[in-house]
Amino acid sequence: MNMTAPREESVRPHDWPGLTDAVHDAQQRFRRLLGCMSEPGTLTSMALPSLPPGAAISSAAWGTLLALCDLETRVWIDATLSGAGLAAALAFHTGARVTPDPANADFALVTPTTLTQVEEFALGSDAWPDRSTTLIVMVETIESQGDWQLCGPGVPGERRLGLGDPDQVRPLMRVLHANRGRFPRGLDAFITCGTQLTAIARSTRLSGPGLEQPELSSAREEIA
Amino acid sequence: MYVAVKGGEKAIANAHRWMADRRRGDRQQAELAVAQVQDQLGLAVDRIMAEASLYDPELAALAFKQASGDTVEAVFLLRAYRTTLPRLAETRPVNTSDMCIERRISATFKDVPGGQVLGPTYDYTHRLLDFMLLAGGDRDVAEPEQADQDLEACPQILDCLNQEGLIEREQDDGSEPYDITRDPPDFPVDRATRLQMLARGDEGYLLALGYSTQRGYGRNHPFAGEIRQGTVEVEIEVEGFDAPICVGEIVMSECQMINQFAGNGDSAPQFTRGYGLAFGRNERKTMAMALVDRALRAEELGEPIQSPAQQAEFVLAHADSVEASGFVSHLKLPHYVDFQSELDLIRRLRREHAERTQGDTQHAQASGADTAADTATAPTASKECAQ
Amino acid sequence: MIANSSIADAAQGEASGYNFAYLDEQTKRMIRRALLKAVAIPGYQVPFGGREMPMPYGWGTGGMQLTASVLGADDTLKVIDQGADDTTNAVSIRAFFERVAGVETTTATGEASVIQTRHRIPEKTLRADQILIFQVPIPEPLRFIEPSEEETRVMHALEEYGVMHVKLYEDIAHHGHIATTYAYPVKVDGRYVMDPSPIPKFDNPKLHMSEALMLFGAGREKRLYAIPPHTRVESLDFEDHPFEIQAWEQPCAICGATDSYLDEVITDDQGGRMFVCSDTDYCNTRREDMA
Repeated sequence: MNMTAPREESVRPHDWPGLTDAVHDAQQRFRRLLGCMSEPGTLTSMALPSLPPGAAISSAAWGTLLALCDLETRVWIDATLSGAGLAAALAFHTGARVTPDPANADFALVTPTTLTQVEEFALGSDAWPDRSTTLIVMVETIESQGDWQLCGPGVPGERRLGLGDPDQVRPLMRVLHANRGRFPRGLDAFITCGTQLTAIARSTRLSGPGLEQPELSSAREEIA
Repeated sequence: MYVAVKGGEKAIANAHRWMADRRRGDRQQAELAVAQVQDQLGLAVDRIMAEASLYDPELAALAFKQASGDTVEAVFLLRAYRTTLPRLAETRPVNTSDMCIERRISATFKDVPGGQVLGPTYDYTHRLLDFMLLAGGDRDVAEPEQADQDLEACPQILDCLNQEGLIEREQDDGSEPYDITRDPPDFPVDRATRLQMLARGDEGYLLALGYSTQRGYGRNHPFAGEIRQGTVEVEIEVEGFDAPICVGEIVMSECQMINQFAGNGDSAPQFTRGYGLAFGRNERKTMAMALVDRALRAEELGEPIQSPAQQAEFVLAHADSVEASGFVSHLKLPHYVDFQSELDLIRRLRREHAERTQGDTQHAQASGADTAADTATAPTASKECAQ
Repeated sequence: MIANSSIADAAQGEASGYNFAYLDEQTKRMIRRALLKAVAIPGYQVPFGGREMPMPYGWGTGGMQLTASVLGADDTLKVIDQGADDTTNAVSIRAFFERVAGVETTTATGEASVIQTRHRIPEKTLRADQILIFQVPIPEPLRFIEPSEEETRVMHALEEYGVMHVKLYEDIAHHGHIATTYAYPVKVDGRYVMDPSPIPKFDNPKLHMSEALMLFGAGREKRLYAIPPHTRVESLDFEDHPFEIQAWEQPCAICGATDSYLDEVITDDQGGRMFVCSDTDYCNTRREDMA
């Protein structure tokens, strides 16, 4: 994350990098996103020209937005991530609109801390679970080993994930852990750091420090 | 030795050539020009535009020519083209009250402000084949007479009933209509969505359903309040301009049916409405659409839902000719694999049936054993399936 | 209002008349967003704004839209219908993508990165770097029991699948067997009952814990769904009537395979018939290996 003081007025929307090739770059990014969401906890990278000074989101998060957003999508942005004129750049490059209402967001740009403050993201309903917000999360580190254990669809046996200080990312993991109890409603998350990206789907069973054991009701189907 | 059938690619290419030859027909005959189709087979062109949801008479005529006059195929061609077009702007709602009228009739009032305008119609022709057309006598068709004066303003007839409160009011609630061409309809759907689906629905299908409501299957006592046909302006809003900009004119048909009352202890009885609208000169389509629209309002108006035309999901899910013809015709595709599965099962069932009946005649004829009984012991669902 | 990005998208495709892989970028993004939901909720049918394709509904438009949204310039595409690469519709769809996407195509299962299929899963075990895309006619497994979409949506929401078991049980009562031989319903990751498309039930076990991602597209019904790799997929059955797959008394008459799905071919009008592999690539490869 860039720590230089943001001088928003000096950053213009087109200082943010776009896709060099709108068709093929978007396709390649999507395939990486699809790979991560269908095999949660696997790592991929999203190389992109560097973001303008003052940008508080990761390259991978920006690449994800470029690949998936357009006029039909609404994005919620945590105030701490909006630096360097992100909202204007997003509108310029994709046509996506920023929404102040988290319940109305197709995508939400967040940090783990955001999730201690904002709870209203759309979970979808039991009948329409797809009508949910997808989180795009900024974290400090992503490693293919560490505190968090993933299993479920897309994971042969068990997969490990490290996201830095567990205390810091716990609010995120708690929210994603809660997905099991309310499935099929839930939040899916792309987790990013620099150009790195991984995903946790709502179908993923999570365990790790500070997460409660799975409830009996969700354990029931494990028996079968 | 057996060799699997190959050469699909060649067969397809040859089939296309043969079809093109059939379409062109006898080369001694002049080739049909698209402009001729557009001009002289206008009602086919209009039907294609309406069901394809694309207003482009020239391309609709091209589709009709290319499809050898198969309307359903032509609708499909135009629809498939439509889907590739970028959406550059959204028009403002078309105002049919400002229509430049060429035909306008009401079956509910003898005279109306603006008057009855018969316009071009086959309605009162005697359906006698005109052998002059066969003999090429089409050359001397006379120009229609022009009226001496401009038409008076033609207010919507149903609005005249509104002043007395005799008919339900329809008000724009300002909400964005759902767009069935962008998002799949989620049943149950609202009226705006239903009307979109009916507007591109197959005319024959709507005609049959509308007809069924007249014969008692969901009867709703219709009167043709007003049918109008003419040209309306299409406008868009552009940033930097105060007034909307007219980007063209299109011909449309509209039908407003007046139907029997709704009302209960709380509200006074009122006539209800059914609405039909389509591109081009599509009067029959809009009338059928208005009947079906009214039938589909049964639930909203507290009427019992008993007939096919009142069942929204049934009516709407099967109205699109492109979907329907595609799925019916897909039965022509190979199903060897599934059929093999069925063959395997039916042979097995017959073998077992034969064994059972043989066993019965040999041993247990007197015991009255029911052949089904030995298999009908209730199976218990295994754990992973039981919910 | 006029949108900048839609004009940019429009300009993109002008060179060839059509965009890469036919669909415009906005449609692809819409489908891609839906696919991400589909893999996150395995077996759930995600509604998507299905478009008309230049081929009839029912002929693979759902599969084609998914293929168009997934396909990249470096992919190698294989298209099969009934297991065969040379059936007319497979030929037609393959030719379509050769034309509008210019991608390499193959008939060899092992060489393909994306495989679009109708009614079969290849016999050769698929790998993690492959995506299998199914053409689906009726995505709703409960449709033949309950025709109303409104009702079946509630049944899925409440996980009310009792009717499906009643239907299978009635089969057993009538015939002594479950009379469903293809499009045999499965349960995905213990939650959603799903239609695996009209593959023979012989192919159902290949869905379970597959290494490859499986995507399902129903164009006319405007639904798509997915089974991620390594996902539990169980065919519905009963303890005393366990799920079983078809078996043949003879091997493939051409390659001698005893582990593949066989098509019956009528050889004369005297009741003569033979059985051959439905997966033509599998059959050819085996023959070449023997030679």
